[in-house]
Amino acid sequence: MIELQKVHKVFNAATVNEVELFRDFDLHIPRGQFVSVVGSNGSGKTTLLNLISGTISADAGKILLDGADITALPEYKRARRIGRVFQDPSVGTVPDMTITENLSLAENKGKPYFLRLAVSGSAKNRYRELVASLGLGLESRMDVPVGLLSGGQRQALSLIMSTLTPVDLLLLDEHTAALDPKTADLIMELTNRIIREKSITALMVTHNLRYAVEYGDRLLMMHEGKTVLDQADEAKKAISIQNLLSIFNEISIECGN
Amino acid sequence: MLFYSTTIDGFQMGLCFAILALGVYISYSILDFPDLSVDGTFPLGGVLCTIFMLRLGLPAVPAILLAFFGGLLAGAVTGILHVKFRISNLLAGIIVMTALLSVTLAATKLLTRNGQTTTIFSYRSENLVGLFNGDLAKSIPTGARDYFILGILLVIVILVKIIIDLFLKTKLGYMLRATGSNEKLVVSLGKNAGNYKILGLALANGFVAVAGAIYANLFTQYDNTSGTGKVVLALASVIIGISVFSHIPFFKDTTAVICGALVYSLCLNYLVLVDTNGIYLKLLNAVLFAIILIFNEKTSSLLSRAKLRKGGKGK
Repeated sequence: MIELQKVHKVFNAATVNEVELFRDFDLHIPRGQFVSVVGSNGSGKTTLLNLISGTISADAGKILLDGADITALPEYKRARRIGRVFQDPSVGTVPDMTITENLSLAENKGKPYFLRLAVSGSAKNRYRELVASLGLGLESRMDVPVGLLSGGQRQALSLIMSTLTPVDLLLLDEHTAALDPKTADLIMELTNRIIREKSITALMVTHNLRYAVEYGDRLLMMHEGKTVLDQADEAKKAISIQNLLSIFNEISIECGN
Repeated sequence: MLFYSTTIDGFQMGLCFAILALGVYISYSILDFPDLSVDGTFPLGGVLCTIFMLRLGLPAVPAILLAFFGGLLAGAVTGILHVKFRISNLLAGIIVMTALLSVTLAATKLLTRNGQTTTIFSYRSENLVGLFNGDLAKSIPTGARDYFILGILLVIVILVKIIIDLFLKTKLGYMLRATGSNEKLVVSLGKNAGNYKILGLALANGFVAVAGAIYANLFTQYDNTSGTGKVVLALASVIIGISVFSHIPFFKDTTAVICGALVYSLCLNYLVLVDTNGIYLKLLNAVLFAIILIFNEKTSSLLSRAKLRKGGKGK
């Protein structure tokens, strides 16, 4: 499905601050797999997502989506097949537009945005049902600008917007990190439901070890641009939070933290 | 009597400037782009319309429509400079505005070859038979003619308002609003946000050029210096409109912007009554704008406090 082959990435090249993050980095995620990624700050988790989405470009190596080389494709073209939810809830929605308007924008993804009326009467009802299924009581606030909603509500909306049209790959970038624990649980549960229902291939970066252990088919732990742990399916189920924490501590001691 | 004619004048110019403000509303409010090329595209619309009418003998309406396309092109240049060549938004506007100063001057020269000229900067001709002094206008008694002109202006302004309102409800219009509010989302929808910026700037300057064309029609005169200060005037109208009038129920932003333009240009006209020499006019303009902004700051904080006391609908 998505494949990284011998990817190189250097930041601040040819300066004193030069950091070589990825060298010959390989990763293959088969279709339908839900992968969680953990790791300390600066381990390359977010850079990995940015490389796949095209926000930053690789210095060398190849990135393949469904066998097609997308390494040189600009971000907006890759986005046609890749959905993404960010840590900041305000990034995934248009704050000045209403819930209905936001959903109509998302629903039209992949089609041209021409001079046709954006929201029809039947669409309004469809959006209301969709939002009601979230169970957040947002269906009565369809005409409220999204900027007035809480972070959790906006993140839930970002999530359904990014998966409203079929996507091949969903990137989740610490998407529960800015929420309170209860809302975070709710969003995580919703994420899992959407991914399973639509059988989407997903790559989730998280700092929450419990989520990494409880959700997903495969777990990656990253450290200084390398995967130090990669377990899938049965082997992944055997991992406990305690195991993860001890590996985490070992790594930290190695680098003298 | 002087007060009466000043008021009528204020309304006429206000409606003309309302079209200008509606254009700037697209670039400033929707796209969040402070576009300075307006100072150039306003006279560009005027000179193009005048040339089309006098040199090509076109009637006023097609001439104004062609002026729209002239503004469209100039706006697109600003957009391309900013998006494709990464020049900052203010500088891109300044470059286009400066370049247009020469373009309009050269165009004026084209006009003045055998016309009555006052200076090379302006051109006045009774032959400029446009919207406001054609046969239809002549058939109306002199006393009512001012109201006839007001009526035509009002129809044009409402037409422009409806076009913009409808446009902003289309899928394309939604994309424009999304571009101004959250560019990252446009990218994640698989679209190049830069293209929408160029389109929005082109449209905005198209309407500005229409305002310039109508301004030339209104005074049967084209003036090369008519662009000076139009950015400030338009921004003032938009800001007054959005901050004061958009709180009125059932008032869309576009309606509010029109009201803002009317209020601001009425105030400007009354200032002329106060300062008959015209020396302190610009100073008074600036003070008026500042007062309105200060007043707006006060009222909006009062409004939000009142909302909080009511139990706060918005979190």
